[in-house]
Order: sequence, then C-alpha cells, then structure tokens
Amino acid sequence: MVRFENVGMRYGPGPEVLRDVTFVLEAGSFTFLTGPSGAGKTTLMKLMLLAEPPSRGLITLFGNDLAVTRRARFPELRRRIGVVFQDFRLLDHLSAFDNVALPLRLAGKRAEDYEQDVAELLTWVGLGDRMQSRPPTLSGGEQQRVAIARAVVGRPDLLLADEPTGNVDSEIGQRLIRLFAELNRLGTTVLIATHDRSLIESTRAREMRLVEGRLVELRARA
Amino acid sequence: MSGKKPSGRILPREKGAAPLDVVIGVMAFLAALALGASLIADRAAYSWREGLIGKLTVQIIPPEQGDAAAALSQETAAALTVLRSTDGIVHAAPVSQQDEMALVAPWLGADAMVADLPMPQLIDASVAPGARVDVPTLAAKLKAAAPDSVLDDHSHWIGRLKSLADAVIWSAYGILALIAIATAAAVSFATRAGLQAHHEIVGLLHQMGAHSGFIARAFERHYTLSTLAASAAGASLAALLFIAAGGLEFAGIEPVPFLPPLSLTPTEILWLSAVPIASGLIAWVTARLSVLAALREIY
Repeated sequence: MVRFENVGMRYGPGPEVLRDVTFVLEAGSFTFLTGPSGAGKTTLMKLMLLAEPPSRGLITLFGNDLAVTRRARFPELRRRIGVVFQDFRLLDHLSAFDNVALPLRLAGKRAEDYEQDVAELLTWVGLGDRMQSRPPTLSGGEQQRVAIARAVVGRPDLLLADEPTGNVDSEIGQRLIRLFAELNRLGTTVLIATHDRSLIESTRAREMRLVEGRLVELRARA
Repeated sequence: MSGKKPSGRILPREKGAAPLDVVIGVMAFLAALALGASLIADRAAYSWREGLIGKLTVQIIPPEQGDAAAALSQETAAALTVLRSTDGIVHAAPVSQQDEMALVAPWLGADAMVADLPMPQLIDASVAPGARVDVPTLAAKLKAAAPDSVLDDHSHWIGRLKSLADAVIWSAYGILALIAIATAAAVSFATRAGLQAHHEIVGLLHQMGAHSGFIARAFERHYTLSTLAASAAGASLAALLFIAAGGLEFAGIEPVPFLPPLSLTPTEILWLSAVPIASGLIAWVTARLSVLAALREIY
C-alpha cells in the first residue's frame, strides 16, 4: 500500500527533518505514528499524502513509484486518501454537510447519490442537528468530527489522521476510534499520528515512533 | 434525511472585487464607443461610395471674354451631345441654376450678390450599373466639343473618403485590441490575487484530489460572470449614448455638421453586445490559463 525506502526530507537549505525513513504499510493495516513534537510526524504525513516531494529516497503509493508517476495521475491517487488534518482545514463558507460531501463531489458523484450517506455519517458522529452549521459556529470538537467524517465518507483506501482525537472527550474519542477500526475492517489502511497513549494502548495495533527524524519500530503488527 | 443539496459555490463570495468591476465596465464602455465609431465610419464610407460611384460630373467654366452666357449654353449643349452619345451613360442633364445656388448656399449664402457671381454650369451624368466608361477618352472628347469643360468622375474624392474611413475603422480596431489586452491583464491580475486570497482553499482542494480543471472552473465562473455583468453595464451605457445621439438628430440638432449621423441603427446597437460577450470570453480564457499556470507550480 505504502512503501518508504531511505526517504529523507529537508525544507530548503535547512537540516533534514526526516532521515533514512524506511517502512511499509501493508494493505488493510492499522498503525499508530508517535513521537515528540517536532520529530517529523506531520512531514511524514505530508509526504504520504503527496503534499510535498521527498528530498531523497523512494516512495511507492498504491503500487506507484512516485518518482516516475506522471503528475497528472496525482489527483487520482490523492482521492484514494482520506486525511484528518490537525488543524481540520474545513471550508468556513460551506456548511458541515457540504464540507463532508466535498470528497464525493470531487469524485464526480451526484448529490442525490450521496445525500443520504453524508447525513447518516454526520448523525453517527453526533452532528445530526448541526448539518447546516458552518465551521466557525462549531466547537473545536465538532469541527474535528466534521473533519473526520469528511476523511472517511469516501471509504478511502488509505486514511491518514493527525491527532484525530485531540479535541474530543474520551467517549467521543473511543467512538471515533471504533469508526476508524470499522473502516479498517472494511479494508482501509489506517495510519494515526497521536500523542494519546490511552488510545494506543486500547488497541493492539502496530506503533511506529519518530525520534529526531528517524523511524523506530516499537510494536509490530498484532 | 435532513441533508440538503450541496452549495454550488466552492469559493466564497469575493469581497473587494468592485474595483475590477469598475475597470472592466469603463473599458467595455470605451470598447463599445470604439466599435460604434467603426460601424458609423463603415456605414458613412459605404453611403459616400454608393452616392458617388456611377456618377460623373461635367463642369463648364464660363469663359472670361465674349458673351459668357451664350458660350456656356453652346458648350453645355455640345457636352450633353457627347455624353448622351457615349456608351454606358444612361442619363445626362444640366443642373438647374436654382440647384446650383442651393449647393453653394452653405458656404456663400443665398443673397443677390451671390447670384451675380459667374457660376459654372454643372452637368450630372449617370453610368449604367456595371458599365465601364473610359474616363480619359471621354474627357478628351468633351474637351474637343466644349473647351471649357472639366470632367470629374469623383475617384479622387472617393479615394480620400475611403482612406479616412479606413483610418477611423483601423484605429477603432487598434483601440479594441488594446482594450482586450488590458482586460486580459486586469483579469489575470485579479485571478492571481484571488488565488492568493483563497490559497488555503485551493491548497485543500488540490490536496483532496481535485483536478486542476475543477479548481480552474470555480475561478472561471466567478470572473466570467462578474466580467460579463460589468462589461454589459459599460456597453449598455455606450448604447444609451448612441441612442441619445439619434434622439438629438431626430430633434433636428446636427451634432457635427458635414459628418455622418452619430447614432447607430438598431442592428448596429445589437453589434455592441459583442463587447460583453468578447470580454466574458477573454475573462474566461485568462482566468483559466492563470489558475492552471499557478496550479502547475504546486506539487
């Protein structure tokens, strides 16, 4: 699904943020990415979601070597990835409903085909009565749930989530983790970057830890 | 199910775009004036040509010595005989004294003193449509029959009028081209500014796998519609001016003597709608190319 081989990343002339990162995410796997702030978790996620090219090394995504894949194919690859950004990145001028529907709209689906799915998903994450609310009127936790619903609504092949439970109480957090686990059971490969040890300990998923830009495998897949 | 149809607007309503609308509106106004001027010049040149082509004028100058009236009468008769016997000429008749006085009245007035001036005798001749008359040969024959005659086929006058009309028309085209370039530049600038203002949204859509064409369409739609609206307002204002000029002429007020009417016919007014249509097309192409170029710079 995802293969990194000796990947290095630096921004401009600065020091390397990631060094010789090598790992494989098998299809259907569930993995936690941990590490202290500034260790390079967000940069690693950016490389995986094709937001930045690596400074060196080889990245293979869905069987495509990105170094030789035509840029015109990137949108198609990106649409197979669901992302929960740490800062949510919701569109403030759209309602919660329209934000969640956005990936389906980008995939060219018709409104009547996805209207019900979007509404059901928003209800499932506890926002059934806030569908028409715009993000600025939602709390941090509600915004986070909209961002998660947007990431999973298209049943992506790969789900990347950066601190997805950082702004919600433990009950909602557990519910969201069950959502990710359900998605994973249906075949989605999941990678969650988090500091939340209780979240990590609640599952027997694989844990990869980044320390000063280098990757350490702490716990192999169950 | 309590969801609703998705909003069609991927980009938020742009604030602060009024200056661009004003610039586009003013440019469309100027473009419509230039286009109207070219239509007037073209129509005037056509009517001048139509009025003069196929016409010959013979002027017989009164001799300075002897019995001028008798000589004028004799030479006029001789010239008419030559004209009427020339193949291709279907009509030849002397211009009456009264008509000649009316011709010079705008310059010399119409008082008794003018009537005493030694006026030449004019003869109007018409050539059959499609017929060709050998003008130098006819002039030589006329000279032989009436030594004080001068033949004018108006070619010199027509040539100068055509040059003048062509100059006006090509100047208008030049102005239209400059306005098109300025419109494209303004829209390109505004699109770039719009991309900058919405770079987070554009970045997110790009990240979520939106094709460049999808993002470009959001900008195209915005700038094409606002350009269409602003340029339609500018062109409408110009059309109103031309209609007002027509109203003045209808009321008997001649804006500029000896120049063609400054009003446009209803068909020509319709031609002004080409200005917003062309502006919209320019905005559409410019916005699309600008967005696609900017997106190529993103990984």
